[in-house]
Amino acid sequence: MNNETLIIPGDVVAGSSLWKDAWRRLLKNRLAVFGMVVVLLVAVASILGPSIIKRTTGYAPDYIPRDAKLIRSFPPFKGPDGSFSWLHPMGTDNQGRDMLARVLQGGQISLMVGIIATIVSLLIGVAYGAVAGYLGGRLDNLMMRFVDILYSLPYIILVIVLLAMFRRNTPTGQLVLLFVALGSVSWLTMARIVRGQVLSLKNQEFVLAARATGVSTPRIIFRHIVPNTLGPVIVYATLTIPTVMLTEAFLSYLGFGVQPPLASWGSLATEGIQNIGIFPWQLIFPGVTMALTLFSLNFLGDGLRDALDPQMRKL
Amino acid sequence: MSVLPKMISFIIRRLIITIPTILVVITLTWGLIRLAPGNFYSGEKPIPKQIENNIREKYGLNKPWYVQYGKMMGHVVRLDFGNSLKYEGQSVNTIIAHSLPVSASIGISAYLLALLVGVALGSIAALKQNSKWDYASMTLAMLGISIPNFVLGPILVLVFSLTLYWFPPARWYGFPSRGVVLPVLTLSAIYMAYIARLTRAGMLEVLRSDYVRTARSKGLSERQVVIRHALRGGLMPVVSFTGPALAFLLTGTVVVERLFALPGLGNYFIQASLNRDEPLIIGIVAFIAITLLLMNLLVDIAYGYLDPRIRY
Repeated sequence: MNNETLIIPGDVVAGSSLWKDAWRRLLKNRLAVFGMVVVLLVAVASILGPSIIKRTTGYAPDYIPRDAKLIRSFPPFKGPDGSFSWLHPMGTDNQGRDMLARVLQGGQISLMVGIIATIVSLLIGVAYGAVAGYLGGRLDNLMMRFVDILYSLPYIILVIVLLAMFRRNTPTGQLVLLFVALGSVSWLTMARIVRGQVLSLKNQEFVLAARATGVSTPRIIFRHIVPNTLGPVIVYATLTIPTVMLTEAFLSYLGFGVQPPLASWGSLATEGIQNIGIFPWQLIFPGVTMALTLFSLNFLGDGLRDALDPQMRKL
Repeated sequence: MSVLPKMISFIIRRLIITIPTILVVITLTWGLIRLAPGNFYSGEKPIPKQIENNIREKYGLNKPWYVQYGKMMGHVVRLDFGNSLKYEGQSVNTIIAHSLPVSASIGISAYLLALLVGVALGSIAALKQNSKWDYASMTLAMLGISIPNFVLGPILVLVFSLTLYWFPPARWYGFPSRGVVLPVLTLSAIYMAYIARLTRAGMLEVLRSDYVRTARSKGLSERQVVIRHALRGGLMPVVSFTGPALAFLLTGTVVVERLFALPGLGNYFIQASLNRDEPLIIGIVAFIAITLLLMNLLVDIAYGYLDPRIRY
């Protein structure tokens, strides 16, 4: 464990072997590999699945059959005549829409919300933390006190008020509002982590060298210091995605999330809850798909943390 | 050197930060309500100008914003939030007084259950690290974190109410009653998971520490080492989780109260936000902010008692 920390500074070759080491450690962690495979499968299926289903069965995610006899909720693997059929592996919803196609399309939205909100939080958090940590002194004190105050706010309450008050009628408008709301509350931990990293980096030789050769402060922060904080940032970003997705699902459940005709796993599961007693598959398939994905993302994040930062493991 | 004056100055310093924070939360909430388009009286159909003017007159909406803000803050400072706009004739304080016991009884029981099960799972995992017990309880904990409570709740209802008929699927029957079993289980799952993970991490660190080695070398039995020494140090992360847990409890109760149709604070808060019932929103937000920040303060004080190394 110790020889790595001895090798890191400066050396390009040693730097690349750090990533290789981490990759090897990650591959040894069976749960993390399982998580990675599942996440990749779900992502690929969500992106390609709906169009494949449309091509093979004719069921686009929002396709409602013309035939009135088909507009009802069929159980999984059951055809209209009650016999076994491959047509709807997850059954259909109340309007006769194919659940599999809907769940996969919901995956697109859920993953997109998770990733974009995480990117928003990354951009704000990394910039904020790096500036505070590098400039230090009074400014740092002020900026971090602000983060402390935001931390202690019951922010979810504010998000609910924000979303309830500014509710958009257009699905895209609501989606953008969601990105802003989710991104703006999840950057705090990122800022703290980056600041901590920067504090330990800013007195190292390569920064002093950059400063001595007259590199400007913004350039030092963003070209020399920030790239060196990537390890913990990647780890934390991986763990932020499931948290954000869970929050989106929670907001969708309350009716503040993604608006129809768009659907996320959260809003699909919410629709399913109303029919839980009669058509349980309408809740179970989106719910289980979401839980499985979050489960895998969490394991992947844990594994990345162990692999990239053996020091953090004990925390 | 005595500890007490230091403790008091710590509390005073914290209150100096806490009170402005509460005011900021309330101001932000009020600002959001005011900046948003529309009004609590605006519906599908436009109302005649004269009526609208009368409404604005009655609720003081025609006054300049700083007068309205001052009036609202006056309510907050006196902790008397006025009357609800939607539930006519009911004061916000009455609504809070009626709905708080529902939320609190569910929330506290869920947290206690989570503590009991979570600490047990986490300790077993740490004491038998890398065994199948460890993997089983950590997988269980990860499941608890990954399954959204609004999916877990209906599944529990499907199994225990609609199939086995053990517990009622919804409604408030008072506390304690059969009706609270499923809401409490649903709510506690995620804390159980977090507490198990925190306990495991804390215990693993403490079990390797010097003072546990000393305790062992004194010849104490393994049981005494674990219960008297390791558990106390290992639970520190759990204690500091209490603050965030309370915030979680809030979002959790919102979902659980809606799922099981319980007349709690969370349910009223969502209704109030949708109805734009300003006094009720402000009242509940103020109440929650004050409770949360005071609880956080208590947690920090408790932390100092549990860990003698911490000084204020």
